[in-house]
Amino acid sequence: MEQAELQEKIYEFMQKMKGKKKLKEKDIIKHISGETGEDKDVVKKALRAMIDEGRLMYSYGGGASSVEIPSEEYLREKGLIK
Amino acid sequence: MSGKYKTPMLDELEKGPWPSFVTEIKKAAKKSDMAEDELGQLEKSYNTKRGYWKHGGIVGVLGYGGGVIGRYSSLPEEFPGVAHFHTVRVNQPSGFFYTTKALREICDIWDKYGSGLTNLHGSTGDLVLLGTKTENLEAVFAELSSRGWDLGGSGSAMRTPSCCVGMARCEWANIDTMDLCNELTQYYQDQLHRPAFPYKFKIKISGCACDCVAAIARADLSIIGTWKDSIQINQDEVRKYAEAGLDIQKEIVDMCPTQCMYYNPEDKTLKIADAECNRCMHCIAKMTKALRPGKEKGATLLVGSKAPIVVGSLLSWVIVPFMKLTPPYDDLKELIDKMIEWWDDNAKPRERIGELIEAKGMRAFLEAIGVPPMPQQVKEPRKDPFFFWAESDFKK
Ligand code: SF4
Ligand code: SF4
Repeated sequence: MEQAELQEKIYEFMQKMKGKKKLKEKDIIKHISGETGEDKDVVKKALRAMIDEGRLMYSYGGGASSVEIPSEEYLREKGLIK
Repeated sequence: MSGKYKTPMLDELEKGPWPSFVTEIKKAAKKSDMAEDELGQLEKSYNTKRGYWKHGGIVGVLGYGGGVIGRYSSLPEEFPGVAHFHTVRVNQPSGFFYTTKALREICDIWDKYGSGLTNLHGSTGDLVLLGTKTENLEAVFAELSSRGWDLGGSGSAMRTPSCCVGMARCEWANIDTMDLCNELTQYYQDQLHRPAFPYKFKIKISGCACDCVAAIARADLSIIGTWKDSIQINQDEVRKYAEAGLDIQKEIVDMCPTQCMYYNPEDKTLKIADAECNRCMHCIAKMTKALRPGKEKGATLLVGSKAPIVVGSLLSWVIVPFMKLTPPYDDLKELIDKMIEWWDDNAKPRERIGELIEAKGMRAFLEAIGVPPMPQQVKEPRKDPFFFWAESDFKK
């Protein structure tokens, strides 16, 4: 599977889970790898690339970290969108 | 700018001969709105006995999951300067050594983008910069990294390893704490910046049992320098201590926790039953000229200490009584990787490795990391009988 296609799958999953469960990197990799049959390292690479460009971001609450879709307001504050 | 708030409660904390954080915030408030509103909000907290900070959420620099802790005022209209007041953790150099030039650079960057307030060092070991806005984060990070700095760890990640000054300044260091700390920091870069663990994992390294970085109480993995052979005794110096008035029996021998020392007042000589000595450093720290650690040096590895956040506090537990530590520390790295793998596979969210060992048992942990049971691992005799047996050990 192309990385872009894999990233769309990841994004769809993240949208579906938004507000329902805090997901760690490992949860996302496990789910997408199970769903697509892609190797976990390949999924991890695709996920990390999304985090690097700000499409997904790490979040933090109560000392524990998760991965989330950033809000537009946050992206604007960071100057990543106008 | 300064003087916007009357702070009678905080002013009390400036009295007396001690340094005062209030005085420092007031100094910063002369040139920073953020520091000034921080002062105002804190005074209000002292009056109402309520905290007004919210923390967490998505806040950080691109690609990193750690190093920035989002903090917001719950009273942004009243204290706009602290509407955002994020903390930036900067990875400190091993042993906390800085040139004044480096410190000036950090302060200049922080005056430009933050409140000017710092905390050297946070309990994590990081150099902590207090109070900046979301829109400044990428700029702060770019300026820091252009000068060779990097962010430290936060959240469910490998936290910035820290160590005592070790061989750079201390004759008691049994291991090169600074080299080891730097090596582990480099090795765990990915885990430090990309939080993927169930919760935090801290490594702290002390060169001897004096444990100047409190590794035994604050680290998931405490690495504490020790020796295997005998304490080196200089009997001439023992005699000089006695002649100078030190009560060796009372202050040294009677306070030895394992009662393994013997002092002969007739000829003023000291003997140690080294097999019973637990390397606590008490006698060495008191008779610096007469006693020195042994020559066969290495470290004890202990696992599991933590402060009482989710459940109660724990002290670290001896796992490997003695390990020789030589660069590039491959044996150690391999062992830490196994510990983390077992914890990552078995822990619930926000469960520290020490809590998991308590829940699953030391046996499961030792088996997973391939360390055999040893008498030194018995933390509480009678409570922890180390009978390791499996069904297959018994004839049916
Ligand atoms: S922990 Fe021991 S070796 Fe390290 S600075 Fe303190 S006394 Fe020295
Ligand atoms: S190091 Fe501690 S246990 Fe060992 S002899 Fe000295 S006081 Fe006793």
